[in-house]
Amino acid sequence: MTGAAYVLAALGKNASLPARIGPFLVSLLVLLVCAHIGVRKFAPGASPLLLPLATLLHGIGYVMIARLSDRLAGLQATWSLIAVACFIAVLVALPRVADLLRYQYTFLFLGVFLQLLPLVPGVGFSSGGARIWVSIGPINFQPGEFAKLCLAIFFAGYLSEQREVLSTGGKRIAGVQLPEMRTFLPVMLAWGVSVVVMVAEKDLGSSLLFFTLFVVLLWVATERTGYIVFGGGLFVLGAFIAYNMFGHVRDRFAIWLDPWSQYNGKGYQIVQGMFGFAEGGLSGTGLGLGDPTRIPAVKNDFIFAAIGEELGLFGATAVLAAFVFIIGSGLRTAIRTDNAFEKLLAVGLTTILGVQAFIILAGVLRVLPLTGVTLPFMSYGGSSLVANYMLLGLLIAISHSSARRLHEVPQ
Amino acid sequence: MNRVIRRLAIGLLACYALLFVQLNVWQVGKRAELRANPLNNRESVRQFDAPRGPIVTSDGVVIAHTVELANNTRDASGYTYQREYPTKELFANVSGYYTYAYGATQVEHLYSDVLAGTTAKQQLLAVGSTFNNVDQTGEVQLTLNSELQKLAQRQLGTREGSAVVLDTRTGAVLAMYSNPTYDPNTVAVHNNDDAGAALEALADAPGKPLLANAYQERYMPGSTFKVLTTATGLEAGFISTASEWPDENSWTPPNTKNPIQNYGKKTCGGDMFEVFRRSCNIPFARMSADMGPEVMVNGVEKWGVGEKLPIDLPNAAASTFGGEVADFTDSLALLAIHGFGQGSVQMVPLHMAMVAATVANGGAMMKPYVVAKTLAHNGTELSSTSPEVWRQPISPATAATLNTFMVGVAKEGTAKCCLALAGGIQAAAKTGTAQLNAPGKTQRSHAWITAFAPAEAPRVAVAVMLKGVNAQISAGTGGTLAGPVAKVLLDRALKVVPQ
Repeated sequence: MTGAAYVLAALGKNASLPARIGPFLVSLLVLLVCAHIGVRKFAPGASPLLLPLATLLHGIGYVMIARLSDRLAGLQATWSLIAVACFIAVLVALPRVADLLRYQYTFLFLGVFLQLLPLVPGVGFSSGGARIWVSIGPINFQPGEFAKLCLAIFFAGYLSEQREVLSTGGKRIAGVQLPEMRTFLPVMLAWGVSVVVMVAEKDLGSSLLFFTLFVVLLWVATERTGYIVFGGGLFVLGAFIAYNMFGHVRDRFAIWLDPWSQYNGKGYQIVQGMFGFAEGGLSGTGLGLGDPTRIPAVKNDFIFAAIGEELGLFGATAVLAAFVFIIGSGLRTAIRTDNAFEKLLAVGLTTILGVQAFIILAGVLRVLPLTGVTLPFMSYGGSSLVANYMLLGLLIAISHSSARRLHEVPQ
Repeated sequence: MNRVIRRLAIGLLACYALLFVQLNVWQVGKRAELRANPLNNRESVRQFDAPRGPIVTSDGVVIAHTVELANNTRDASGYTYQREYPTKELFANVSGYYTYAYGATQVEHLYSDVLAGTTAKQQLLAVGSTFNNVDQTGEVQLTLNSELQKLAQRQLGTREGSAVVLDTRTGAVLAMYSNPTYDPNTVAVHNNDDAGAALEALADAPGKPLLANAYQERYMPGSTFKVLTTATGLEAGFISTASEWPDENSWTPPNTKNPIQNYGKKTCGGDMFEVFRRSCNIPFARMSADMGPEVMVNGVEKWGVGEKLPIDLPNAAASTFGGEVADFTDSLALLAIHGFGQGSVQMVPLHMAMVAATVANGGAMMKPYVVAKTLAHNGTELSSTSPEVWRQPISPATAATLNTFMVGVAKEGTAKCCLALAGGIQAAAKTGTAQLNAPGKTQRSHAWITAFAPAEAPRVAVAVMLKGVNAQISAGTGGTLAGPVAKVLLDRALKVVPQ
């Protein structure tokens, strides 16, 4: 499917068959077959939906990137290779995901370290307004993408052990049951650090993502709706403070409400995105036949607008559906497993993927103010792709181990 | 925990349902509105930034074409295709320019559909190859000859003015150049601000370089207009080859005290052949006053004076006799002055070439045209111009008489100095020196000639007009200044147009 789309895109753009179509198709197929064999070999009991859906998104995203820029396509192809290698490595290294529980504090420190890394002078640098980049030698990457995984593992581990205490213990003040401070502290600390860092790094999207992850995991672990209410309240408060403290937050908000008044400035991107969607209509202009390069940052944050323009409502809906199915499979994995840690981890990982995709899609579609995060599996960017494939590897590993415990596959 | 996870699933599903709704709003609900938004120029840019066929001269020289920037690259303005004019200013007045923000002019404007490949015929030809994305662009082939055009440019040199060469039998324009002109490459730049600045500078420049002076401007014709006056007299039966005019150096028309004089205050008279050859003013003044406003005005209108010239280019000018019948009824003096091409008579240079061509063509005035044919990308002919008679201002007999008069001008008259064609071919001509200022002021005059050749079997006609913008031009006459230009052009044109 990806191969066919790639050919179409090249035809639409250059009216000739892409010269490297043979090697491209073969290497792509080999890559996907490798991933598939990896799953069959190391996690045969895994949900059969996750990998195909992810590779579908990856493929459409890759074709769109290739259509936007040949140079980026080459880089993205290299990252794809690394990502699939990491995916298989996760499957090989983690026959029992539950073992990760033992290293939860390691992951806490690793997560915090990765999150802080861009703030270290000489290593970290800013790009596009956010200080989320790290440069080591010739490689630039966004450690935050990996920090998410680490922190999800820590939260899942910690909460799976402390959930009883958190949901029952503690004093009652004014009729509200408060958890014990002693057990609650590390979680608050982890969350506080990452939020503070996010604000310092001016990465609103990731900040929102972390916060959601934290609240959702607390909610699921304790089964107490109060955490959602509490979290929602904290979010409103945080948003209010951020709105008053940061000019760029106010800008984002104003553009969301009325991008037209700032057409020649900060509203240009979102307006061009809307024009792109409108141009696409039901069936799209066809790959390579639209004009998505008018949208700034179309290769990463706004890749969904390019899909809407060239593949139309049908293509964009397919992408939305793929994300919904991945979320469904991820949560089904969480429900099927009886191990509390695995359950929470599966919820956490699915939340990261689903909410991150929602944040950027909602931003591009003007459902929410725009905050720049990548669209998992689709946007251009190595760190994001590798981290998301590792995330997928973890989900598949959980899916497999629960299937094994349910004796659906041989031990 | 599973209960909560299911709730979470429902929550996330609701979020994505919201996205789907909003996606529908943009892609379906508000689609038309967004596409029609004036800020949204995707549609117009896509139409503009596309392949476009060439404009080619009759001898195969490309005067306008579109080049694609290196694969996948765009210039600073975000375009992939650039319109270029390899001959620079040489054909600017015919090709025109093609811009995004300021539209297109001349052939670029009139034949835009053919060049872009969007005519119904071209679309039909492309059906069946929808998936190969074939080049649908069309080609426009001109009647103009690049060598002749270059010659016109070189002959005018730094002098302001126009030169037009026609095929007398078809009306095909072989060359049409005017100075000053402009380089369309400076206007066809993609940066809208730069293009606007270039156009503004050209609009303010002296000599109106943006206007194709040869067919979009009109000038006092001087004695070249006597061809029309003589033709009117012959057609109306007021004069004949036998008409005689007294030798005189001054004549005062009825109801006025201001006398009319000949050029250079000379004494001048004789038979019709003689006064035409020497271009005496008084006989033509008398002739016009005798014929009266109605005959005179009707006579020149038969030549299309007062009507927009029917050339296949936009915004052609119309020549003017400078008044209606009623304007001359009480002022025969004015009519007399207009009769020899002074006063407010104004002729378009192209029109003057058409006058000579009409005499050459036995009285049939052909529609001038610059586009010979249009071709689809695969070479299929889309259209071709068939020569058409615009009007028949004079009978073949009158045309034959005028032919002998004009031969006299070339042989032993005002153009004797300068119109001896190569190979002894006989030319026929009428010169003009249009005096722009009233006596007593600094004298400024346009130098005109209108001519055709060979006199016995004409094939080509020419009109040359040098604007009297300085003392150098104004010191000369139509014969001495415009004559040599006409000779060079006729010599070359006779080689271009076969017998």
